[in-house]
Amino acid sequence: MAANVPLVPSADVNPVDFASSGAGAFPTSPAVSGTEFADMLAENIDHLDAVQDKADQLSVQAATGDLDALHDYTIAATEATVTTQLTVAVRNKAVEAFNEIMRMQV
Amino acid sequence: MMGAFSVLDIAGSSMGMHQSWLDALANNISNVNTTTSTDDDAFQAEMVVARARTSGGVEVTDIEKGSAEGRVVHDPDHPLADADGYVRRPDIELSDQMSDLIIAQRGYQASVQVTKYAQDTYNAALQIAR
Repeated sequence: MAANVPLVPSADVNPVDFASSGAGAFPTSPAVSGTEFADMLAENIDHLDAVQDKADQLSVQAATGDLDALHDYTIAATEATVTTQLTVAVRNKAVEAFNEIMRMQV
Repeated sequence: MMGAFSVLDIAGSSMGMHQSWLDALANNISNVNTTTSTDDDAFQAEMVVARARTSGGVEVTDIEKGSAEGRVVHDPDHPLADADGYVRRPDIELSDQMSDLIIAQRGYQASVQVTKYAQDTYNAALQIAR
C-alpha cells in the first residue's frame, strides 16, 4: 500500500549545515546574557532618579508657594513612591533568583 | 515605563482644567457687582474652553470673554452714572455661576478619585512581587 503521506525528498528537509555554524552541530541559542538584565536594571534606576528629582523640585515649589497646580506635586510624589517600590521589588526578585541558583548543588 | 502612569497624567490634566475653571468662576462671582460707567466696557465674564487631548485627558484651549455691553441700569445716585443716570453692570447670572461652581468642584473631585484608585491599583500590582 502506498502511504498517503507525500514523500519529501530528504534534500529539501532543513539541512543542518555543519560547515557554516562555527559552534558545531548545535544551533546557537539566542543571547540572553546577564548584561542585558543589568542594563535594564541600570536604566530603571536612572529613571527612578529622574522621577525623584522631579518630585523634589515640585515639593520645594509647593512649599514656597510657587506651584499653581498642587495636584502636579502630589501626582509626582505618587509616581516617585510607586517607582521606588517597583525598583525595590525588581531588585529583591533578582537577588532571590541569584541566591536560588547559587544554592543549587552541582 | 511612562505608559504605566498615563492614568495619573490624564487625571492631572483634568484637575488642571477644573482648577482653571474654578479660577474663572471665582473671578466672575467676585465681580458680579462691579459697576462701570457707560463709557467703558462692562466687566466681561470669563468662560473656559476645554478640548480633549489626543494623548488622553483634557486641555484648556481658550478663555473666552463674555459680552462687553453688560446690562445698562438706571442708577442716578451712583458716582459713575452718566448724564442720563445710567451705569453698566456685568451680564452675569449669579445662579448660573454658582451651579457651574458645583459642577467644577465635582469634576475636580472625580479626577482626584481616579488618582486614588490608580494608586490602589499600582499598590495591588506591587503586592504580587512581595
